[in-house]
Order: sequence, then C-alpha cells, then structure tokens
Amino acid sequence: MNITMTVNGKLEHLECAPGDMLTEVLRNAGHVEVKKGCDTGNCGACTVLVDGKPVLSCSYLAARADGKEVTTIQGRVEEARRFARFLTAEGADQCGFCAPGFTLTVLAMREELPNPTETDIRHYLAGNLCRCSGYEGQIRAIRNYLEANHE
Amino acid sequence: MEIVEYSRPRSIDEALRLIRDRGGTPIAGAAWLRTNAKTMKLGVDLSELGLDFIRETASGVEIGAMTSYRRIETSEVLAQRFGGALGAAVCHVVGVQLRNIITIGGTAAGRYGFSDLNTVLAALGAKVVLYPNTVLDFAKYVEAGAEVPFLIEKFLLPARARAAFSQFRISESDFPVLNAAVAKTETGWRIAVGARPAATRLCPRAMAMLGREARPSDAAIAEAAAQATVELRFGSDIRASAEYREAILPALLRRAILEVRG
Repeated sequence: MNITMTVNGKLEHLECAPGDMLTEVLRNAGHVEVKKGCDTGNCGACTVLVDGKPVLSCSYLAARADGKEVTTIQGRVEEARRFARFLTAEGADQCGFCAPGFTLTVLAMREELPNPTETDIRHYLAGNLCRCSGYEGQIRAIRNYLEANHE
Repeated sequence: MEIVEYSRPRSIDEALRLIRDRGGTPIAGAAWLRTNAKTMKLGVDLSELGLDFIRETASGVEIGAMTSYRRIETSEVLAQRFGGALGAAVCHVVGVQLRNIITIGGTAAGRYGFSDLNTVLAALGAKVVLYPNTVLDFAKYVEAGAEVPFLIEKFLLPARARAAFSQFRISESDFPVLNAAVAKTETGWRIAVGARPAATRLCPRAMAMLGREARPSDAAIAEAAAQATVELRFGSDIRASAEYREAILPALLRRAILEVRG
C-alpha cells in the first residue's frame, strides 16, 4: 500500500505492507537515524515523534502514520547538537546507539513538562535504555540542559 | 503479524460493518502486533473513530476505547477521582513512548493476565460498552469474554468511589508479579486481583467480609485479605511461583484497603 507522511517537514510518499511497523518503513526510506534496537517495544532506541508525541516506531503501525507528521532526530538536529554538548560534558554518551531516541524523548519531555523534578525526569525517561552510561551522567546532563534553557 | 488488508474507517458504524460482515479484526494501539505471528485477513484500524476521550457525565466518567495510557496517566479528571488509581495502574508500563500508543480498549479486548489497568477497572465496578448498545459488567466481561465479533466503544466509571491500586514487580516497567485494586463504591467494598498470572478476578467472599462499613476494623481487613488468598487460584511463571504470589497478596490488599479506609 502507499502512504504519505511528512517526515522532518518534507512530504514523502512511501510504500509499505499493511502490517509493517514504522521503524522499517522509515529506515527503508533512508532514515537510518531511526535505530532498530530491541524491536519489541522495550528499549526506546527507535523513538520518533508522531504529531509531536514520542512513540516507539517499532510498535507503531506504519499505515497509521499515513497523513501524519513524523519527526526523527534529523528533524531536530540543532537542538540535538546543543543537548549533546551537555551529555558530553558529563561523559554520559559512549556508544551512542541509544542517543537519537533518548534525545528525542528529552526534547519531548522539555515541551510536555515545564519544570520536571528529578523523579519526573527518571519516570519520563524510563523507556529509554542505555547499556553504557549507567544513567547518572545522563540525569546530570538533562538537569544542566534544562537549567540552561531556563536562563 | 501479517496484515493482508488494512482499513481505517472514519465512522464507528463502518468499522463495525467491516468487523461483522467482512471478518475484520479491530486494531487498537497495535503495540503487540509486532510480536504476534498470526495472519490478519482484514485489519480495521480504530484510530479515526473519535474514541479518544475522557469526559465527565451526570452519572460518572466515560473513557473512550482508543484513549491512550498516557492520556489516562496525565488526565486531571482522573487524577481527582478514585484516589488516582487509574493513573497509578498505567504509569509503570514501559515508557512514555509506549504509553502514547497503547489504549484502554486494546487492553480490555486482550483480557491480558498481566494487566494492571483491568484490575482497577474491575475493582471500580466499571462497565464496558460494546457498540452500539451492549453494556457489560467489566469484571464479568474479563472472566467470560463477549460474543464475537464485537467493537468496544467506551468504559463507564462510577461518579463516586474511593480506590487504591497496589502492585509488586521485580523492576520498574516490568510486568507485575501480582496486582490488586480495592474500591469503596456506593454498593460496598470491591476487591480485584490480577497478574496471578491469570487475568483479574473479584474476590466476592472477601468483599462481603468488609461489607458496607466505611471504616472496617483492622481485624476485618486482615480477615478479608486472608480470605482472598483462599478464593483465588494462583499460578507460577518466570516471575514468581504460585506460593509466592499467594504469600504476598495479603500485604498488597491490606495496604490498598487501608489507603481507601484512610
């Protein structure tokens, strides 16, 4: 079947099977910044925004994205680069595989929660697994990033 | 899962027609399709039917079948009711990204053993509305299912009930080892227990022990909590043995009852 969606601000006409999930369809269209991690809805690596909300693309039916706005990390690259500086400062990024999904979730959280507490941050990011960092550096980086945005 | 044909109808009547007349399978959140090896002849996507709502009515609260877990979790209407038990039941599910996808209707349709939300709905005495006009008691629906084919439209919750949700899981965002929900409704106390690991069930004899007393005694609470272990059956799986589940249930129930009693 043919579907049309706006990916990172650009209209794209894509082909997919009715049962395909969004991860595969986006990656097949060249959006390899969408990472295929566990592929079972647990790790958060494949996170994209659909109409501004973070979703797991591995668990989101591609056909349902027809007519919607999809944002990958490439669509928020300036903000992602800015956030990456805070991650780097805390040594909170190693292999980087989880970073696209993790960063998009952080950006979504910033828009959804005006003043998140540390508990709020940990709860919001619970669906993004990182096997390198141990999370503490990420939490410090997020707090520093949010504080810098308030200034 | 392989889906041979996909349809996203714009009206609930059309969706029901596809399900009834063409053997279509309703697609709610679709989060579990990825891990299902079956073939679906006709998938009927319910996302454009206007079933994403939480609204207060004269008789209580209505939640549309396609309302996401995240919307339930962040709803101000629900935060002010039932002791926040509905939000507490959904907030442990993996992460925000999955909770933006999965729906109350999909959870109810699956009658999943691991569901926290179904346990709270059963304890609250919720009704499930099958379009167009079949209203079923939710706890009975979970136990017996419904005549197929059917389409869940919405859930009806009471206007007033105090409730609490209690659960034990090995790690945050894992499936629960056991869950329990307790509610004090206008008809009396209600107790539901799920993830045994089988689907949620009420505990009628334990409920009767608490009766209609607003403030049951500590002894009555302990007795009811013990009774629940007798009238339920428990199973073993990768997370815990039946004996373990049975042993921790009284503690979960005492906590929940005390929270409701205040």
